Amino acid sequence: MRTGNGIYNKLVALRNRFKNAFSQIDVQLKRRYDLIPNLVEVAKGYMKHERETLEAVIQARNQAANAGQRAAANPGDPTTMKSLGSAEGQLTGALGRLFALSENYPDLKANQNMLSLQEELSSTENKVAFARQAYNDSVMTYNTARETFPNVIFAGMFNFHPADLFEVEEAQQREAPKVSFG
Amino acid sequence: MDFFEQQDLARRRTGRLVWYFALAVVGIVVAVYLVAWFALAMVGGYAQEPGAVNPYADSPWQPELFLMVALGTLGVILLSSLYKTVQLSAGGEAVALMMGGRLIDSMTSDLTERRLLNVVEEMALASGTPVPPVYVMDQEPSINAFAAGREPSDAVIGVSRGCLEYLDRDELQGVMAHEFSHILNGDMRLNLRLIGILHGILVLAIIGWFVLRSMPFSGRSRGGKNSGGAIAVILVVGVGLLVVGSIGLLFGKLIKSAVSRQREYLADASAVQFTRLPDGIAGALKKIGGRPETSKIESPHAEEISHMFFSSAFGSFGSQLFATHPPLADRIKRIDPSFQGEFPAGVKPVEVTAASLEAEKKAKPKPGRPFGAMLPHRAATPIDPTGVLGQVGMPGMDKILYAAMLLESMPQSLRDAAHEPYGARAVIYALLLDRDPAMRTRQLEALRPKTEELSYRETERLAPLMDQLSGPARLPLVETTFPALKKLSLEQYRRFRENVERVIRADDKVDLLEYTVHTMLLRNLDVHFGLAKPTAVRHQRLDELLPSLIRVLSTLAHGGQSDEAEVRFAFDKGMSQVERTGSVLGKADCSLARLDAALKTLAEASPTLKRQILGACAACVAADGKVTPRETELLHAVAANLGVPIPPIVTPAPAPAVPGVS
Repeated sequence: MRTGNGIYNKLVALRNRFKNAFSQIDVQLKRRYDLIPNLVEVAKGYMKHERETLEAVIQARNQAANAGQRAAANPGDPTTMKSLGSAEGQLTGALGRLFALSENYPDLKANQNMLSLQEELSSTENKVAFARQAYNDSVMTYNTARETFPNVIFAGMFNFHPADLFEVEEAQQREAPKVSFG
Repeated sequence: MDFFEQQDLARRRTGRLVWYFALAVVGIVVAVYLVAWFALAMVGGYAQEPGAVNPYADSPWQPELFLMVALGTLGVILLSSLYKTVQLSAGGEAVALMMGGRLIDSMTSDLTERRLLNVVEEMALASGTPVPPVYVMDQEPSINAFAAGREPSDAVIGVSRGCLEYLDRDELQGVMAHEFSHILNGDMRLNLRLIGILHGILVLAIIGWFVLRSMPFSGRSRGGKNSGGAIAVILVVGVGLLVVGSIGLLFGKLIKSAVSRQREYLADASAVQFTRLPDGIAGALKKIGGRPETSKIESPHAEEISHMFFSSAFGSFGSQLFATHPPLADRIKRIDPSFQGEFPAGVKPVEVTAASLEAEKKAKPKPGRPFGAMLPHRAATPIDPTGVLGQVGMPGMDKILYAAMLLESMPQSLRDAAHEPYGARAVIYALLLDRDPAMRTRQLEALRPKTEELSYRETERLAPLMDQLSGPARLPLVETTFPALKKLSLEQYRRFRENVERVIRADDKVDLLEYTVHTMLLRNLDVHFGLAKPTAVRHQRLDELLPSLIRVLSTLAHGGQSDEAEVRFAFDKGMSQVERTGSVLGKADCSLARLDAALKTLAEASPTLKRQILGACAACVAADGKVTPRETELLHAVAANLGVPIPPIVTPAPAPAVPGVS
């Protein structure tokens, strides 16, 4: 009985830890979603003929932001984590196409605002990746603890569901945002 | 009564408790024995064949039975105490997570959270402890807070939602000062022991309860004439264990609550001493009394850590004898004698705006109030040339303001980077870079293949900012990175740790700053990540440590002066502080590697000894009436190794307080 209590507490602690780890991702994702409209705004001035691409970016951003909200409400849940992963993949793909096209607009590329936004975006993306690594590590610890005997019995009794990793689906022909630091 | 005496007292008190506990256990063993004997001799007689002789009926003294009972009871109590202690010693983070805490992100945009983090950061820097991670219990609307952890390096602070919403800055500062004094007074460790001991006794009562519950089954499964006797034996054993365990628990709780209440008064007093703003903490206590939610904590785990809280987790109900906290009105009266027992009605949430946060940053020191009545035993601090010792664990408002100033002086992008795990690593790498460009390039080259591209770029970006950082702000900057670094996963931390060593080694020499930063990081983070245990006390007598102390003092003496006579003078000053003599070691014997070995030994000293050691170091440093930046760094290296939080040293003007020095 005492061991049961201990296992329960341990599982609660591990679950809370990966949830806290997700909030780190969440902070950086939000920062990223805030940056993108600014970026599109600047790009609009130069890329008059690329409305479709720009709209695709905004749409992907909105979808990702929604998925992010759902995931933050229930981190580790397989459905929300999968949809966030695929929405993030779409967004990265859309941004990649935008940056690829921007190669054709030298004025845009030289724009100071654009440069700093682009740099901040990629630094945020790295922070997301880094926080994701920490989150995935803590999910693995939780899942491993959950599956070992005798914890697995308690996990079943008290609804400790297995948690899902956060993996961004690589969109096809994705081009990573190439950042030039001058 | 200062930091060291508090720590010692906490340890001694734990010692005395263990003694009481031993007495209680002897009592319990005897009581259990009597129960067992009674069961076998009187009740067990029913189960006898007619005419048979009950061997237990003759005499109440049955050595074999006693031995068995004693071993069994002791085993149960010891094992369960040990189990609970191990379980709770998982550190502050585990406690905060158990209470459902949500870690406040250091980059939070929520203004009330921002304000709390500012308060905590200033207070941690002022007392020289690593900035603790702060958790919010969102589901608790009352006003309460707790500090948990084994030692300052893995301490965390938890606050209820009400605490964030209903307190103004001064009150928040008062509550946080109270929690910091729990951390600094060693109360967390004391609490851990208490909980462990109580659990051992509790288990006896639980076993009794289980024996009773299992009774009907054993009655049904067996038939015949023996069953009546068997049931009677089980009944007697069960009731006996339950009663003995409950009485033991009752006394245990009495002891625990009595100690806990004393520690609360002490923490209140220390908090006032800390901030010199009695209105802050008194205001917070009044608001607790003025709200219907009071300080009640809903979480079912509240009982386990009930005495770590700022105010009682069970509202104002319950008997005074078992209360973990003194009555609110009593606490307020000790701080504010004019209090009439009327709590404010209709406490409103405090609104925090961006403008008010900005204004708080530039706050002027409020006039501190003299106070002395609260701590009757506060003895004068012995001679302390640098003024460091008296402030250990008790920094005072001036240090808090100084800490706020230091924080303000740091370039904003450095502070921002230090607040999230990604940037915090780069801050540490950049801080370790040499000022010499050639060396710096070599260090960066060593780092480059081992980190991700952008992490490396971040380090490069931050490096020039480091040069703008004033000397005294460097170590405080390191302290501010701790909450962010504690968010790394274990794997990420291992890589970070390797990289730190890589950067330090790359320039073929380990300088003092590198050494100090490395020590601070390892000492605090290894414990957090479970790679090291908190240091245990192994030395109670100074003479065992003399060779190590001589080496440390020699290093300090060589660090501050070059003239041989002055070196000897400074060294002797230090030695005379501990009333010992010795001869100063040559400069060649004072390498960092040797200093490190000596400090590792000194780290295992008892708090009182650490006090003497730091006192000797301070005397040695101040022997010539001035403290150089190098000496400050050395002193910090000593303190970091000993695990003693020392407040930032405001490099003083040549001190007139040290007479007789030419």
